[in-house]
Amino acid sequence: MRQLTLILLLLGGFVQAQNTPIVRDSSDVLLDEVLVIAAKKTKIETDMKMAVSVDEFLASSDNISFIKRGAYAWEPLLNNMSTERSLVTIDGMHVFGACTDKMDPVTSYVESNNLSEIDIKSGQQGSLHGATVAGSIDLKRKSTAFGTKNTWDGAYQAGYEFNNNQFFNLGNVSYSSEKLVADGSISFRKAKNYTDGNNDEVDHSQFTKFNTSLGLAYKTSDLSSVRVDAIFDRANDVGYPALPMDLSLSRALITSVAYKQFFEDKLIKVWDTKLYFNAIEHYMDDTTRPENLVHMDMPGWSTTYGLVSKINLNSENYASEIQLNAYDNLSIAEMRMYPQDYSETTMFAYSWPWVTTRYAGLSMTNSWDISAHSQLLFGGTLGVNYNYSKYVEFNRIFHPGASQEKTRFLPNLYTTYQLNTGGFDFSAGGGYGHRAPSVSEGYGYYIYNSFDRYDYIGDPDLENEVSYEANASAGFTHAKGNIQAKVNYFYIQNYIIGRILSSGSPMNYQSVGVKGYTSLDHATLFNFSVSADYSILQNLHWKGTLTYARGLDENKNNLPFIRPLSYQTSLHFSYQKFGILTALNGDLKQIDYSPEYGEDETPSYTNWNVSADYTFFIKNKKTVLQVGAENVFNTYYSTYADWGNIPRMGRNIFTSLKINL
Amino acid sequence: MKLLQGIVMVVFVVLTACTVEKTDYEAELSTDTTEYIEFEEVTTTNSGDYTISIEALNGTLYKGYNEIHLKISNSETLTNLEDVAVTFLPIQTDANGNKSSCPHQYNLEYDATEGYYLGYVVFTSESDSTVSWQAYIDFQESSQTYAINQPFTVEEQTNMNLNMTAFTGNDQEQYIIALVAPQSPGVSENDLVAGIYKYNTPESEAGTFPDLTQYSYSIVQNHTLVLDPRMPEPSMGNHSSPNNEDLTQDTDSLYHGVVNYTMTGNWTLNFIFQDADGNTIKGTEVSTEFTPGIEGERSELYIDILF
Repeated sequence: MRQLTLILLLLGGFVQAQNTPIVRDSSDVLLDEVLVIAAKKTKIETDMKMAVSVDEFLASSDNISFIKRGAYAWEPLLNNMSTERSLVTIDGMHVFGACTDKMDPVTSYVESNNLSEIDIKSGQQGSLHGATVAGSIDLKRKSTAFGTKNTWDGAYQAGYEFNNNQFFNLGNVSYSSEKLVADGSISFRKAKNYTDGNNDEVDHSQFTKFNTSLGLAYKTSDLSSVRVDAIFDRANDVGYPALPMDLSLSRALITSVAYKQFFEDKLIKVWDTKLYFNAIEHYMDDTTRPENLVHMDMPGWSTTYGLVSKINLNSENYASEIQLNAYDNLSIAEMRMYPQDYSETTMFAYSWPWVTTRYAGLSMTNSWDISAHSQLLFGGTLGVNYNYSKYVEFNRIFHPGASQEKTRFLPNLYTTYQLNTGGFDFSAGGGYGHRAPSVSEGYGYYIYNSFDRYDYIGDPDLENEVSYEANASAGFTHAKGNIQAKVNYFYIQNYIIGRILSSGSPMNYQSVGVKGYTSLDHATLFNFSVSADYSILQNLHWKGTLTYARGLDENKNNLPFIRPLSYQTSLHFSYQKFGILTALNGDLKQIDYSPEYGEDETPSYTNWNVSADYTFFIKNKKTVLQVGAENVFNTYYSTYADWGNIPRMGRNIFTSLKINL
Repeated sequence: MKLLQGIVMVVFVVLTACTVEKTDYEAELSTDTTEYIEFEEVTTTNSGDYTISIEALNGTLYKGYNEIHLKISNSETLTNLEDVAVTFLPIQTDANGNKSSCPHQYNLEYDATEGYYLGYVVFTSESDSTVSWQAYIDFQESSQTYAINQPFTVEEQTNMNLNMTAFTGNDQEQYIIALVAPQSPGVSENDLVAGIYKYNTPESEAGTFPDLTQYSYSIVQNHTLVLDPRMPEPSMGNHSSPNNEDLTQDTDSLYHGVVNYTMTGNWTLNFIFQDADGNTIKGTEVSTEFTPGIEGERSELYIDILF
């Protein structure tokens, strides 16, 4: 019934679209418009730091927080929800990490110099690319527009961070002509162990990352083009101080070929179809940890094939995107334990027993300008999710009779009304959506979680998680500044979380027991943020953000990894070619922690950061030099989401140089 | 442009090749176990006009449980001898010439569809330079009795999933427990099948050989084998598995239960053997504590397996 309603709504939207008057544009104007949109450049840098990692950039968003297991590959939490509940895509392409211990979130396979922007959508508004509860994070690749004359463009950045001796080189280059466009990037980062606020070295916090990407587009006709993209990422010798093992090698190859067709004088403006393939391999390594009682090999592989086909419709007061999304993912993770007497037989099991996930979804997102001041955004997705576990006998050990195949229907719906009048803006919206359990939640087998020290077991027959969401925002913009408050509330039925299974006996020697993923009757999550900026003087700007969140389970107990009240405030001053920024950020004491899920009370902390930059020209090439310091007071702290309370980095002086070629 | 395309192609080919090969799970399961399905001839002998052939899995008799098929055919008429009374008695002779037997089915059953005589035998020791085995097979045809005395070899059972154990119970009786299935278990729920036998202690002195009262075994009826499977490897810290079921007797006289193996490797099946009234005949409860670094303690009644 719900599905039917959804279809009707979608059709309704479509009919609506058909009826809107068609505005006749000249094709040139249209193409330029579209290309300009495609060429939109939002720099991947924060106010504080111009050479940031993708993680650092994401951290500057007020609805993203991180679980950190070390200095590398932080797991982004959107609206205080873990990656199972959010969708992380690269240009709309689904990529799935190959590590059962979440050492490799998708964001770890890109680099800041091959991205143009990161599109974060909260809640059901993010369901365009698939089923989600928390929202979506789309990492958008750089793609240069076709030009009328041949132009080369590029940038080179190098830098050094003193705390962990991180040295990085980032280079990117692009070529644009009438028929052909090329974007290339290459980057290399190498860091040693960092030291905490007590000047103690945090062992196993080093990393080495190499990333390169290439994109080629060819204009096949005045109104069409073909684009081929590839990203290759390789991380090796990465330490995870919070985990009992490290990473010897992870590699990702992310490729796609896309065909784009523009239309003249039609309601349909663009039809963009992309086929993609990505393969990830991830090899954990515990030979770096001689203190471990057991030597284990834990390789993982994740291979995804997919299709994204989207049509953009546009008329005077109505815009819409219809998207077809389909993918096939195979996730495999093995564990092989070696007995203390190596002549004995090894012990083998799958932690992901060859789990196939297929998803196909048709989604639509619409924006309708009701008047010059108000707008209605609405959309939805109807998806089908199919899972297949090749070695389902593993899952049946804990869940006798568990189904080998499982098909789920995943509807997602949202609507938001926006009003903008006299400097004030308001919005109110709601959403409803389902998500399927992740591979680990559905099919995971003895996945050791070093946070609460339990081995986790998936359940193939878990119910869909169902989210009911309400959100609102209010803001005021003035010539000298603006203030914006956002609030959202999620009521999530069948909230999936690990609960102790008394029948289980630990497999990993550090473990204290076995937890099975089960559905709580419901859980609620509340997120609030207020942010403001103000221009005190023409060249002196202030910015501040305050966020608060609360998550409760069905018995009103706290959910884990919910950010306590946190704040961020910064002052930026620029004078001619100089810029200076000082920022303060911190969390208050985490009072609402969850001992049931392995959390303890985390004290408050405050961090003071400063940076200064100077812009000059070397032979007409704009060059920026930046020097700064993070955690100036060398505070010893760890945050609520630091896995195993590992301490964060102490004082870190960073320098970087960027030359625009 | 050509160069770039070339680079893309090369990168693609080089990088899609994985550096660590995925495990071949089916091969992994059969490293330490071999599953035999075919019955083949072990030995054959003639008596008068009859050829008697003993068949077993893989054409070999192993220490532990063996299902045996006897085919008796008339070499003159080339027909099988159908549905007569056939008896089978395995006799072991040790270095001192002492004779003993092992659990066996004395009166073989005729299987009309397959045309053979069906039985089982649970060998308690392998043949070697001092231990030899002989089968005493008797049958009657046209009021003539045929008695055959055929030597054969009992091989070592290398598949630990078909291990056996012999013990004296608290009731001073001699028991034998032999695993029958699974031959090749998986990391899964496995139907565990075992045969449980008891030596019927003779009440009188041995008469003329072969005196059947000296070599009599019977199937233990309506007992229970309480099961607690654990991994003995020290680093596994006494790891166990959920949802196991104790072994109880089924209509085929064998004992059936469920064992879950959570990973491949060495496992110990810890047993408590109880009679129909729940009295323990043999076996002790083992600790359920998780003790990393310490080898798992075994029940006084156990069978080790490996797969």
